[in-house]
Amino acid sequence: MTLIGSDLTPYIALVLVGFLPSEIWRWLGVIIGQGIDEASDLFLWVKAVATATLAAVVAKLAFFPSGTLADLPIWLRVAAISLGVAAFFGAKRSVLVGVIVGEGVLMGSAWALGLTPRG
Amino acid sequence: MTASDTSSPSGNHVGSWYLKGLRAAVGLPALILAATFVGIGSVCEAYGMPLLWAVLATILVWAGPAHLILVGGLGTGASWIVVAIAVGLSSVRLLPMVVSIVPYLRAGRPSFFTLLLASHFVAISSWVEGLRLLPGVAPEGRLSFYGGMATGYLTVATLFTVAGYAISGVISPIFGAGLLFLTPIFFLLSLLGASRTLGDHLPVVAGIAGVVITAPLGDGLELLWAGVGGGTLAYLGARALRRRGRV
Repeated sequence: MTLIGSDLTPYIALVLVGFLPSEIWRWLGVIIGQGIDEASDLFLWVKAVATATLAAVVAKLAFFPSGTLADLPIWLRVAAISLGVAAFFGAKRSVLVGVIVGEGVLMGSAWALGLTPRG
Repeated sequence: MTASDTSSPSGNHVGSWYLKGLRAAVGLPALILAATFVGIGSVCEAYGMPLLWAVLATILVWAGPAHLILVGGLGTGASWIVVAIAVGLSSVRLLPMVVSIVPYLRAGRPSFFTLLLASHFVAISSWVEGLRLLPGVAPEGRLSFYGGMATGYLTVATLFTVAGYAISGVISPIFGAGLLFLTPIFFLLSLLGASRTLGDHLPVVAGIAGVVITAPLGDGLELLWAGVGGGTLAYLGARALRRRGRV
């Protein structure tokens, strides 16, 4: 564990290759978004693209993950997502119930089957 | 404060809209954010980054996937340009997200600079909750309300980055996997929860199907294909449904 570190390089990298490549899209979004009316078809299209992209990010994190999660088998992740979604609809669209069931299936089965992610 | 500010009732209520937004940030999304950033904080520690770096990365990048790509890339010694491109690709999604929330945020006629500042707070959590709650907020209060909600989320994420960094060594691998699984399961259900009509569900289904279909292509552009391609198909489908009067 290091509090600040004596090397400035990671901080320069944070701004140049972490902050700027993300932030530029937000700035462009403001420039483009200023000219769009919230009742227009263009707005509905952009919202559909934003929602689909978010759903895609979510699917990528779950089905093609990196890190610890990648060490758990794909069928386990698919089962956890499917049962979580089923529980969500079964419990009158309760996000909390869906999350608990999905996480329970993932961590419970990994534990019961003795699967250990490398960490 | 100028004369025109004091004569307008909205000028006096900025603080109270901000507090309302801050209160709206207390809830399940903040809990999920907290757990997610415990995971991200511990990943930062595992890659040998200083604590201050982990905290600044949470505040400055403010996008979970980009944060993980950044720390993973730098931690494994990838070249900066490769990391920058990977981060940039993962954050393209912020463009349509900002475009679709700006019409709400500019309702009170803020300056361009204020909007740029507000756009920094756009991330998965505040976007989903913002689109859900902002239509019910009076137009002049929307920007302050959003500012309150989003700074509340950012504060929670920052505090729990520190917590995750501190307990990095003692998190069991299965629990760590569970923390990283929270973001996908929670936001998938949030997107479904925010969808009321069949037309609302289409982009969610199209985005997931798009990734599953195009990821095996291996070109690294699956988010673009699924987002723009899937989103456009969903938009056309929803429009066709509306025209048939089935909503």
